[in-house]
Amino acid sequence: MSGDVDPFEAVKLVFFQECDELLADLEGGLLALEQGTGDHETVNAVFRAVHSVKGGAGAFGLDALVRFAHVFETLLDEIRAGRKPCDDVTVRTLLRASDVLADHIAAARGQADPVEEARSAALVAELEALTYGAAAPVSAEAPGEVEDAFVPLPIAAAPLEAEADEWGFRPVAFNLASLDLPAEAPPVGESAGWRIRVRPHGRMYASANETGLLLRELSRLGDTVVSLDAENLPTLDALDPEEGYLAWTVEMGAEVSEADIRDVFDFVEADCDLTIETAGVEAPNVVEEPAEAAVPDIDIAALLARATEAAPVAAPEPVPAPVVAAVDAAAAAAVPADAQPGASVPANVPTATVMTAAAPTAAAAPATIRVDLDRVDRLINAVGELVIQQAMLAQKVGESGLTRHSGVLSGLEDLELLTREIQDSVMAIRAQPVKSVFQRMTRLVREVSDMTGKRVRLVTSGEDTEVDKTVVERLAEPITHMLRNAIDHGLESPEARLAAGKPAEGTVRLAALHRSGRIVIEIGDDGAGINRERVRAKAVDRGLIAADAVLSDEEVDNLIFAPGFSTAEAISDISGRGVGMDVVKRSIQSLGGRISITSTPGAGSTFTLSLPLTLAVLDGMVVTAAEQTLVAPLSTIVESLTPRAGDVNYIGGHDPVIRFREAFVPLIDVAYSMGFRPTPMAPETGVAVVVETESGAAAALLFDAIQGQRQVVIKSLETNYQQVDGIAAATILGDGRVALILDVDAIVAVARRRPTRIEALRSDLKLAS
Amino acid sequence: MTKTILTVDDSRTMRDMLMIALADAGYNVIQAVDGVDGLETLEAQGADIVITDINMPRLDGFGFIEGMRARPEHRSTPVLVLTTESDAAKKQRARDAGATGWIVKPFDPVKLVDAVRRVAA
Repeated sequence: MSGDVDPFEAVKLVFFQECDELLADLEGGLLALEQGTGDHETVNAVFRAVHSVKGGAGAFGLDALVRFAHVFETLLDEIRAGRKPCDDVTVRTLLRASDVLADHIAAARGQADPVEEARSAALVAELEALTYGAAAPVSAEAPGEVEDAFVPLPIAAAPLEAEADEWGFRPVAFNLASLDLPAEAPPVGESAGWRIRVRPHGRMYASANETGLLLRELSRLGDTVVSLDAENLPTLDALDPEEGYLAWTVEMGAEVSEADIRDVFDFVEADCDLTIETAGVEAPNVVEEPAEAAVPDIDIAALLARATEAAPVAAPEPVPAPVVAAVDAAAAAAVPADAQPGASVPANVPTATVMTAAAPTAAAAPATIRVDLDRVDRLINAVGELVIQQAMLAQKVGESGLTRHSGVLSGLEDLELLTREIQDSVMAIRAQPVKSVFQRMTRLVREVSDMTGKRVRLVTSGEDTEVDKTVVERLAEPITHMLRNAIDHGLESPEARLAAGKPAEGTVRLAALHRSGRIVIEIGDDGAGINRERVRAKAVDRGLIAADAVLSDEEVDNLIFAPGFSTAEAISDISGRGVGMDVVKRSIQSLGGRISITSTPGAGSTFTLSLPLTLAVLDGMVVTAAEQTLVAPLSTIVESLTPRAGDVNYIGGHDPVIRFREAFVPLIDVAYSMGFRPTPMAPETGVAVVVETESGAAAALLFDAIQGQRQVVIKSLETNYQQVDGIAAATILGDGRVALILDVDAIVAVARRRPTRIEALRSDLKLAS
Repeated sequence: MTKTILTVDDSRTMRDMLMIALADAGYNVIQAVDGVDGLETLEAQGADIVITDINMPRLDGFGFIEGMRARPEHRSTPVLVLTTESDAAKKQRARDAGATGWIVKPFDPVKLVDAVRRVAA
């Protein structure tokens, strides 16, 4: 990080990061309140979140954000104070307000368009209605106005001269005798200046305010003539050290405004007797100050000495000078040597960061650095090449005829382990929890629930499950679509639910988990489940299946992924126009993922997405089919076996099936089905690899031979060539050859895409067993 | 002599803003994230001046000032309260707790340093 970063901009970045955290706190708190699990501290935390957003936004002049946060905060403050209830209606409004607040933040950040005025205003009106009752004020107090209490002091005050003490006073030759002389006319003379009388109460000192400092502030405004009135100072035996006994009169020129004078006393007004009046002719006992001095030369010690003189045994005003000195000493001891601030500490970001870190009790946050994503991707690419190179080297060494015990081979093995470790570490850099996507969904659910009038509760789990950043980003859209579907089509209306003996509020589940090297996302609802009759009728209607097709429940359910299928009777605004589940399926597939659905009538449906953790590498089984080298993703493979002639049966005379674990599965000759060879091979001359698709369908893929298991770097075929059915991507093997990575699901689907035949197969199998 | 200012605020943004403005003005700045942390930091490191937020988890600004004033060595340490609330009741409450003065948010660095100078010897 360079030192020339504008510190202000750097803090702004911090602010927006903090906003993300605050929004999460806000939403989490509001959801807890909605579910009745919140308490008073939850309300406090929610208030603080909005308050902090407003505070930071104000510092950066983000007015729209400040205005909205202010109204939001005002209602929360009322609730916090117990003046307004925190009922369902209120919490729902607050939740929607948190959405608009998030939008304002996104807009302020430049990530989104400014929030529509009408939308923001509508919510402001709602918040105000809740805050003030029906008679809401037309507009809220503009938060900018809260500044009213702070009138800036003129900053061009005379700089303190070097010889001034820490209070800003310089010693002055002081003749006690002069005190007894009648006062000379103050220099402010006949022109009506100001006469300020201040008599501090003990309370003023208790709050660590000092008369000396007030006098110093006044002296910055203009010339002052100060006189001390120690008349009320009692004798020591009657003296309460916490009380204030002294009073001061300050004469100032008329050029100073009353507002400026009052401002000096802003902090202490309530804790002292203060009169500010235009100076009359009569002059009190004054200490004359040298006319040429910008800063009054008052020797407090001398003044006090006089007070002592007046009451010989009296202790001085409770000026806590010794205590201050002690604190100074303690502070000096505590200042680390390297943090010795000079006259000006450069206010750049590294300094701020270092000093933050130096504060020992600052919130413990994990140490992080921000790295440009491009750099990480370059690293990942380089590591990908490293993996290929390592594989090539291993292969060349293997071919060179070295003995197994040679040091080269064991060195190579170590290299392989290291390479894999580097690769895992690099992949971990890109890994992110799915939390960011999941959090967005609570809002979506709320909005869709509002639009449909259905009551919905979103239950999430596994938010901390990590997956590649690209996968996380591209998950948002399909999940959004499926959640909308789940609420819009899956859940019934509250009335229908009650009639079905279910709670009026529907539940939508969103879960993430790791399963065998992939991430699985489940989106489930406890709605009515898929209406198979209707799906079937529609599929027949659209020509997707034959009218007499006999399909299993699972096959019917999965018809909703077929292109051109839409279950919505009327195209609804919510589930989107023209975007069907086939689009969702395609976007999942483009991530190397699979999607399936299970549904139970009356109890709901669950979509299951299975995605690779990374888009960069894959554990694969390298196989040969008609002299082509192919890679089958290891995650799909259940088992491999060598078929014997008797194991293979032919359904209807041409579709081969093979016995596998007391069942028959289709046997697919991959080379033949992909056109690598004109005629099918004899099954017993090859190797069958049993694979299972995400939807649970099993099949056996027939290859010529298995070469071995290998990690391969995925190279997109679509980017560099074009999409090919049955092929997911390509890779470069150790010997430099290109190998195609099979799309097992697609291959199996093609083989099973003949419903009538499959049905024939099924009935044949039933007969056989 | 360089003065040490303790800033107590749960918002990182605000802590950073204070840090930049105050360090720029030549103060030594130490930080705490809430009232409890503030009292501990004060105990461990001491400070010449304290600036505290009001709304904080665990222990709010009022409680923090009261806790501070309960210790003889901090009774005369100036405390400025950061507040967005300009109403008199809030200020009075801060004053009752023992606050020396207040800084109204949003502040600009000049105003901030000005307010600090006003209460610091």
